[in-house]
Amino acid sequence: MEKILQIKDLSIFRKIISGDTQNIIENIDMDIFKNEIFCLIGESGSGKTTIALSILKLLPISFDIISGEILFEDKNIIKMNKEEMQKIRGKKISMIFQEPSAYLNPLMISGKQIEESIKENEPDKKSRVIKILKEVGLEEKHYFSYPHQLSGGMQQRIMIAMSIINHPLLLLADEPTTALDIITIHQIIHMLKELQKKYQMSILFITHDLSIGMEIADRIGIIYKGEIVEIFKPMEIENLSHPYSKKLFNSMIGRYKKGERIKITDEKNT
Amino acid sequence: MRKLIIKRLLHIIPLVIGMSFITFLMIRFSPGSPFTTLRMNPEISPATIAALEKSFGWNKPPIIQYLDWLKNICLLNFGISFTYHTPVLTLIKYRLKNTLCLALFSLSLSWILAIPLAVIAGYKENKFIDKVLSSIAYISISLPSFFVALLFVYFVSKTNVLPLGGTRSLFGANVTPYQHFADYLSHLLVPGLVLTFVNLGWIFRLMRNNFIDVYHSPYITTAWAKGLSTKKVLFRHAFKNAINPMLTILGLEIGSLLNGAALVEIICGWPGMGSLILHAVLSKDMYVVMGSLVISGVLLIIGNLIGDILLLLTDPRIKIS
Amino acid sequence: MRIFLQRLRRYSKLGYLSFIFLVIFYFIAFFADLFVPYNYTHQWLSKSFCPPTKIHFIGPKGHFHIRPFVYNYVIVNPALRTYKEDKTKKYPIFFFVKGPERKIFGIFKTDRYLFGVQKPAGIFLFGTDLYGRDLFSRLLYGARISLSISLIGVLFSFVFGLITGGIAGYYGGVIDYIIMRFTEILMVFPSFYLMLALRAAFPLSLSSVQVYFLIVLILSIIGWAGLARIIRGMVLSIKEEEYVLAAKSMGLSDFKIITSHIIPNTFSYTITALTISIPGYIIGEAALSLLGLGIQEPYPSWGNILSSTIGNLRVLTYDPWMLIPGFFIFFVLINFNFLGDVLRSVLDPKNW
Repeated sequence: MEKILQIKDLSIFRKIISGDTQNIIENIDMDIFKNEIFCLIGESGSGKTTIALSILKLLPISFDIISGEILFEDKNIIKMNKEEMQKIRGKKISMIFQEPSAYLNPLMISGKQIEESIKENEPDKKSRVIKILKEVGLEEKHYFSYPHQLSGGMQQRIMIAMSIINHPLLLLADEPTTALDIITIHQIIHMLKELQKKYQMSILFITHDLSIGMEIADRIGIIYKGEIVEIFKPMEIENLSHPYSKKLFNSMIGRYKKGERIKITDEKNT
Repeated sequence: MRKLIIKRLLHIIPLVIGMSFITFLMIRFSPGSPFTTLRMNPEISPATIAALEKSFGWNKPPIIQYLDWLKNICLLNFGISFTYHTPVLTLIKYRLKNTLCLALFSLSLSWILAIPLAVIAGYKENKFIDKVLSSIAYISISLPSFFVALLFVYFVSKTNVLPLGGTRSLFGANVTPYQHFADYLSHLLVPGLVLTFVNLGWIFRLMRNNFIDVYHSPYITTAWAKGLSTKKVLFRHAFKNAINPMLTILGLEIGSLLNGAALVEIICGWPGMGSLILHAVLSKDMYVVMGSLVISGVLLIIGNLIGDILLLLTDPRIKIS
Repeated sequence: MRIFLQRLRRYSKLGYLSFIFLVIFYFIAFFADLFVPYNYTHQWLSKSFCPPTKIHFIGPKGHFHIRPFVYNYVIVNPALRTYKEDKTKKYPIFFFVKGPERKIFGIFKTDRYLFGVQKPAGIFLFGTDLYGRDLFSRLLYGARISLSISLIGVLFSFVFGLITGGIAGYYGGVIDYIIMRFTEILMVFPSFYLMLALRAAFPLSLSSVQVYFLIVLILSIIGWAGLARIIRGMVLSIKEEEYVLAAKSMGLSDFKIITSHIIPNTFSYTITALTISIPGYIIGEAALSLLGLGIQEPYPSWGNILSSTIGNLRVLTYDPWMLIPGFFIFFVLINFNFLGDVLRSVLDPKNW
């Protein structure tokens, strides 16, 4: 299968105010294939978001990439300049975020925010936006809605519309369902899966919830303290080797098998 | 939307009544009747004083006096100045024009200078240029307006580059309107620049902090992730959102400018409301003090109202709550 | 307190420096008697508007003197008030010199001054004013008045604001409504105009003690409204916190809840709010005295020393040392502003 993105030996540091540095990501190797949904699972602080942001070169100033390369279409993203990045961001690789209410501009109508993603000189922008709005399950009138007038789920649909309007090759979804209620989560996940098939794109889906990963992913990577400890396919879930991924699996299984108690593992021992 | 504005307008009525009542209390019960100074003036006949006393109902119970006075100010009759012997309204009109010119001049100049500088400093946060600009702003904030005025007057009197005091130095019939305007403007420059400098620091600081807050907010990350150009991210997203809360400040500024202007006017010899009220206080010219207080209060209320309405018009989030 | 200072020092060296500066300033102002070379009423009739005295180390023949000395200043042109140094005699500077007897804090009698020179020469570090009084001494005494007014004023409005804001926030309802409308009305007046009007409500000629407390009163009336609103807001937000609800459910009295739960928890905010508001009081006093409505002669304050420059271009142009009090005000204000800024971040629990 063709690789769309290759991350090789990536390490990221973060400078702390006191002058020290802190390892966020250490020597990560990871590939994303064409048309696959790759799910990255880990607890908060494990560096999931950092990976996604580094792919778009959107890391905060205090973060430093110290080694490694991120290859996209055979070019190293880390070495790219601003203009080259602008051609990739939102066009070939786009991103959706955890809290749509914070990630949408509160003073701009939703339609305009989607329309901005389209290249300057393309015709019929508005009709394209309205078409995509319908595709993500919204209506024409939502073009004129301000973000605060929409529910969390609708805001996330706006974000999705914004990110897929240019039919990107890769969509980075950073915990897109965490801030939503359980019914909306499943609607959004199914919609993402359908859109992925329709547009033949790859998705890097980041979550802390293994059950969501099992539902959506073609492959799953477990990240723990800045390192990818295990990559597997959903059907191989029973044969996990790393203690952390086993723990994750055990806590999930409790929810799924009726009558079986959740195994509480001791945090300190692992 | 319209409801909210009407509600805000209605809110003004008790405010004005309370404000005028406090003004009345302060002045009416201060020691010495305002007519005692008048009585000492031989040019005014006792009959005039008696008529005045009657017209202002000075012999009636205080509450009736207050209501009469309130009725009078609603009819824009602020009484007669005891020292200038002219209606207070005429005095205030002329002075208010000068003060508003001064305030408007320094308001626009300080905003024109401060906003772009603040955006530059905010964009280059903690870089050299930001540190320089922020330090200047700090000095501007910590310098009291009267001291800036004194320093500036010292500088001007040493160098003689600008006219000092008054509003004009060209008189006569053959002064063209253009010359007249230029003359007025050149006299405005000394107090105007002082007030601009004093005001500059605040605006800069507020806008810089706003801009930095906005610039680090998640939706700016979204804008970058969409692949927008730096120009679009900065202006369409960061600047617009940062300038929005400043609109309230614009309204509030009218009050702070009146404050700052008063002392600057007195020191630079600009005939505005500040020197009017000071001389009125010194000569116990009660109706002038009361009139200027009420008018300045109303101006402040109007300023706040303008700020609120501007924000209401530009921030869609407020409509709902 | 010690923890607070440590935190301040660790967080911002400059903020700590401002704090130290201010402590030194207030110390000197409080003990002004001990630092001045002359009394604030001591007049030198032949030395009106004498420029700052130059301190020399090198004599006219080029010899170096370990003990610095000054020359006597003699008037050259009485109309233009120009002075020159009379280089025929050196007057070395001595410490703890004898002078006219005076009382420190009105209690301790002494005839010693920290430093000085033999008459007829005088040492005027910042020059003299119209009556030939040493500006440096007047500045230090003036600091005592200007700085103490700001402290007492801020304390007054704080206590008043704490009571009213606390009551408004804690009880809510009608009381809250009345107090808040009242503060709103007070805040509608531009504060400078209100200050003048309040001053007008009292007789113009008062004794110096009366004027002092009148200024404190006026400034605290003006500052009170803002503080009351801040405190009300804090009380409102804390009132709903779990630990206050818990205290209530345990049957603690209102007074006990306010004093042992609400006030301690708003302490850091109020310290910051007070630090930020002190400059306003210093400016207020200076402005009133500057306009001749505050501290009256012969008592010095930073404002009334400056007042001789207003509307008097001659003084401003030829005797610019009369502007020195302005630099002192600026210096104190910038330190307060800086400290206030740093406190805001230091006392913010998020930054610990």
